[in-house]
Amino acid sequence: MSSYYGNYDAVNTMHDEELLKHFQNGIGCRVFILSPSFPFMFIGEILSIVEDALEIFVETTHFAQLENRTWVMHIDNIEVFYIERPGEPRIPELNDLQ
Amino acid sequence: MIRRYHVVAIPIRIVVNNFGDHNPDGRMYVLKENESKVKELVRKNPVTPVELVQPLTIRANAGDIVEILFENQLPFAAGMHFQEADYNVLTSDGANVGLNPSSLADCGETILYQINTTNEGIYFFTDLGNVSSTEEGSNIQGLFGALLVERRGSWWTDPETGEALNSGVFADIHHPFLPSFREYAWFFNDEMEVDDLTGNRPINSHTNQEAESFHGVNYRYEPLHNRLRLVREGVVSPEVEGEEVHHDSWVFGDPATPILRGYKGDPAVIRLIHGASKETHVFHYHVHQWPRDPNTLNSEILDAQAISPQSHYNIIPLYGLGSLQGAIGDAIIHCHLYPHFEVGMWGINRIFDTLQDGSQCYPNGIPIAPLQPLPDRPVPPSPTIERPGFPNFIPGKVGCKAPRPPLGIVGGREMTELERNAAVPNARPGAVFVDSCLGNPVVVEFDVSMIELPIVYNKQGWNDPKGRIYVLDKDLDDVLSGKKEPEPLVLHIPAGSCIRMNFTNRLPHVLDGDAFQLVTRTYETGFHIHFVKFDVLVADGASVGWNYDSSVLPGETIRYEWFADTELKAFFFHDHLFPVSHQQHGVFGAGIIQPRFSQFFESRTGEETDHGTQVTVRNPIIPNYRDLSLFIQDFALLFDKDGKPLQPPDFPGSLADPGVFAVNYKNEPLQFRLGEDCDPAYSFSSFVNGDPVTPILRAYEGDPIRIRLLQGAQEESHSFNIHGLKWPRERPSNDTVLQSQQHIGISESFTFEMEIPRAGDYLWAFETEEDIWNGTWGLIRTFDLEVEDLIPLLDRPLPPPRTEPLPIVTGKPPALADPQSTLPPEVAHNAPIRRYRVVAFQTPIIYNSYGDHDPFGIVFALEEDVEDILSGKKNPEPLVLRGNVGDLVEVTLTSRLKFELFPFQDGIHPYPPVKEQAFYPPSLRISLHVNLLDYDVTTSSGDTVGFNPDQTVGLGEEITYRWHVSANVGTCAMWDVADLRNHRSFGTFGAFIAEPRFSTYHDPYTLESVKAGANVIIRNQFFQAAFREFVLIMHDGVRLVDKQGQLIVDPLAGTIPEADPEDLEVDTYDFGSRGFNYRSERLINRFREHPVLRDLFSSKVFGDPATPVFEAYPGDPIFIRLTNPSERRRSHTFHLHGHKWKFDPRELDSNSQSFIGHIVAGDAQDLLIIGGAGGRFNFPGDYMYRSGNIRWDIEQGMWGILRVHDQIQQHLPPLSNE
Repeated sequence: MSSYYGNYDAVNTMHDEELLKHFQNGIGCRVFILSPSFPFMFIGEILSIVEDALEIFVETTHFAQLENRTWVMHIDNIEVFYIERPGEPRIPELNDLQ
Repeated sequence: MIRRYHVVAIPIRIVVNNFGDHNPDGRMYVLKENESKVKELVRKNPVTPVELVQPLTIRANAGDIVEILFENQLPFAAGMHFQEADYNVLTSDGANVGLNPSSLADCGETILYQINTTNEGIYFFTDLGNVSSTEEGSNIQGLFGALLVERRGSWWTDPETGEALNSGVFADIHHPFLPSFREYAWFFNDEMEVDDLTGNRPINSHTNQEAESFHGVNYRYEPLHNRLRLVREGVVSPEVEGEEVHHDSWVFGDPATPILRGYKGDPAVIRLIHGASKETHVFHYHVHQWPRDPNTLNSEILDAQAISPQSHYNIIPLYGLGSLQGAIGDAIIHCHLYPHFEVGMWGINRIFDTLQDGSQCYPNGIPIAPLQPLPDRPVPPSPTIERPGFPNFIPGKVGCKAPRPPLGIVGGREMTELERNAAVPNARPGAVFVDSCLGNPVVVEFDVSMIELPIVYNKQGWNDPKGRIYVLDKDLDDVLSGKKEPEPLVLHIPAGSCIRMNFTNRLPHVLDGDAFQLVTRTYETGFHIHFVKFDVLVADGASVGWNYDSSVLPGETIRYEWFADTELKAFFFHDHLFPVSHQQHGVFGAGIIQPRFSQFFESRTGEETDHGTQVTVRNPIIPNYRDLSLFIQDFALLFDKDGKPLQPPDFPGSLADPGVFAVNYKNEPLQFRLGEDCDPAYSFSSFVNGDPVTPILRAYEGDPIRIRLLQGAQEESHSFNIHGLKWPRERPSNDTVLQSQQHIGISESFTFEMEIPRAGDYLWAFETEEDIWNGTWGLIRTFDLEVEDLIPLLDRPLPPPRTEPLPIVTGKPPALADPQSTLPPEVAHNAPIRRYRVVAFQTPIIYNSYGDHDPFGIVFALEEDVEDILSGKKNPEPLVLRGNVGDLVEVTLTSRLKFELFPFQDGIHPYPPVKEQAFYPPSLRISLHVNLLDYDVTTSSGDTVGFNPDQTVGLGEEITYRWHVSANVGTCAMWDVADLRNHRSFGTFGAFIAEPRFSTYHDPYTLESVKAGANVIIRNQFFQAAFREFVLIMHDGVRLVDKQGQLIVDPLAGTIPEADPEDLEVDTYDFGSRGFNYRSERLINRFREHPVLRDLFSSKVFGDPATPVFEAYPGDPIFIRLTNPSERRRSHTFHLHGHKWKFDPRELDSNSQSFIGHIVAGDAQDLLIIGGAGGRFNFPGDYMYRSGNIRWDIEQGMWGILRVHDQIQQHLPPLSNE
């Protein structure tokens, strides 16, 4: 394998490591995630990081039937995310019976 | 593998119901092995239906070669033409087209067809030896069927016996590793000959006039008029009125029409096929939903679907029979067009919850035929005395109407013991035998009543004295006192909600009689809903089969429960007991399942609300939007201000297109908008005539909007267009094509999502000629500055404060627009500019070699071609312009229209007719509107609409429109909007084709560069490839005269051999001649010269048709650009023999098909032919393109040829030589 691909792997490894660190720092925070897989949108609290997957207690998804339970998501399956840290904009509290 | 069938075409008496109605001259295909059996059964049963008399349904697997030995016993040459199949067109086309050898069989002869079944699906077949639309024709009399192609490795069995099956409309399909499923073939057909027992045309016992023509399913129909006779003669429940029990098996027993039987949860496929011959129907299936394109997950979800003649769809209900909630009972399936429904176009999907082994009976003692459980599904429990299963736990009485449901009616009854045994543990009002909300509690509750009140439809006082509408109870006083305008009820509900509906019937017992209708005792009514999950036995708002009657009497309240399991779209609701009698008075509305967490606000005041046709939706996650609902109506039974009925039928109670048209109980007829100058060019101008009373949907520049498009009443197709905006066709998909037009039939529901890029007035219109003439149009008004009575969307920048006053009505035409002062939205600063100079002028157009012509043609042409056309050197063709993606197209338009060259200078345009004829003189102004391109709507849409400046041109004026080809939108329709009555059908239309970037356009014969034209080669520098592009402009409503100058009154003038005397009544919108690209090869001309039906498409006998003969070599990449810019309401099917394309050309997974359905004004399609010319196997020969409407398109000239040469022709350079 050429060194080009070797470097490419290294960049990906660093990228994944930093991403995991970022989520690690977010344990206990609320997170908003968009994923290409059903049910596409998640809001909840990051519980832990298991290898390269997130354990999230999901309070809101697209479907009420899939809420209030723990979801495990692989980081590669996260397209968009936002971790709500103290002092930063709040992820809305969503309620069916506003 | 090779599969062989021996098929015979035979004449047969078709008995269509148990009342002995029959077609004495039926024709059908049957397997040879059943021929003598079916003939014998029919001989022995002359007045009862024979099971074997059904549209022939045979099966094969994908990848098979199917050999059909076809034997013809009919008294004319006939054949079998297969749609979707790959075959050698010279031997297996089942037709006699162009220069091909005939692949028809003469009377008494046989022919062998070989068909490749490459893909699974419906391979519809019919005859093309005799395309007469009269009772002497073949297709119209029943000669059609289907080859159903299953997945490789499948086999099929009889659902009753479990034994192998060679043919039949019902089968169980099995596969080694895929789930078994129920397969039901459902063939609509209309206009077939039918006589009653006495041999006369059936009589409607309500009106005592001749009944509506045959509209049925699988050669059966179950009209109300027959069942009504049993009521009137006291055989059954004499106290009922009739319509409310039409589908009630307790009163009448089961219908003769198909009953699709299965067990709860069974996977199922309905092969929905329109066999013949004229109408575009809407297939609606209670309780269930399905993807429009089952091949892709990104498809829109439907529960009602329009279907045109000779087209077909796979209906795969999600979650199997009974849907997600697991409903049991009878789910009616019907054509939603009420006159068709009333005359018998319906059947039932019967969902059992207990095992049927042949030992049970229906309540009326008729044995229940056995039904094999699907082998890979759990066997349903056997019935017991305590738990007999559906329908035997329902406490009904045979011969009387169905009982009311337990629990649901306020103050009503409790459950019987048998009902309690059958009920779910938490049975409650409106959800007794299934937990429709899947365990979720009720979170939304509505109190709704149905009331009668007079409704005024426009400023001229057109009114419906017996309007009937749904109203929220909290609004009752305001609506009845006139404080609130009546509008269709639209409820807004967040997804995931369990909904409780408390519905009160506040109607009078009687719908009074008048010029339109006979007195009808509409004493009960219900609230039938689409899309949401519910218990069909008790909450259907209907009375179907052996179900309960889930309606209520005046003064009573019934409770229903529904579940909106996910974000749906607008779900239609209406009454299912007396819809034929009163839905056209306004009995319709919609619920909209909005995204979760949404809040709804009145757009004017900002007050929170839960209903309304125009609301602003706020959502914490997705962008906020404006939600706008439009309901088109036909059969609006209106009176003018003096009490004169508008368009009454010949006799009260007739369903032959009474009344006029409206949108949301309003209309704005063009006849009242001529202004002082009497110029139609300003009919849409608010400067001249003020704003229309029809809905004006309001937003700020940049706002996202969702349009909910529905049809509330009653029978006809409509064509919705928005000028200047476009939306994705399949809403869940990012890849789908864009459109700015949508066909709609009653009960269909569409959601269009888009953003409004720029301020201005956008025209929305149901834009076929008769619709818009009678006022089915309005505006989308978009403001760039703040207005007092429109709240802004909170997630968008606030509109700047108003610095200039809003425009006001002046009574004078607005100033000419200056398109050079603005650019289209989002155009690049250095966009390449492509310029065209177009002239509109009058010239005769010759439609065929027999001398049929339009002496008053009006055309658009490039300036450089005008002289050649006027001198007769060129016979005009519709203007086809092109541009590449990214181009800024500048089209300079001038008018050379002369008043003295218009045919109807007195301002009365008599033919083709429209309803409510009135003075409307021809305009000398003209414009060019194009759909799907981007432009500033205030300068370049070609419409003088609302408070926009004038975008039409008169003599001595010119305008240069600026259009931006922002995306690869393919075919765009072009037409004039200055005078839709006096211009369009004379030829003021064309097409614009958006090509890929870096494309160049060339003449296919000289290879020279060209600027315009319907037949070109497109070369592309980027792809280093070329394709042939054929533009087909399908149009109708043409006024032709023959070579003696006599007016040709099509369709009847074109009927072969001659029109049935009984068909002399033609709907207004069927009048006029039709064809492709200003040409029409009317078969009657050929028939007069050589009266041999089988030869009518033969070029060897007649030479090539006048319609385009497009040429290619086998395998040439070809793109067909198909559009219908003009103009009438009758929908057409387009079919090209031997070729297929993707239903959605942008979606790789999309279904491939050989037809386009329900084509109507504004439609634009891109057909990228799979495999290129000659289809997948590149067979050379002549391929017919044509309409699928046997009545009345093909005879009238809507056909042509795609010629695929096997040898290099000197006149046609091959693509490979470039």
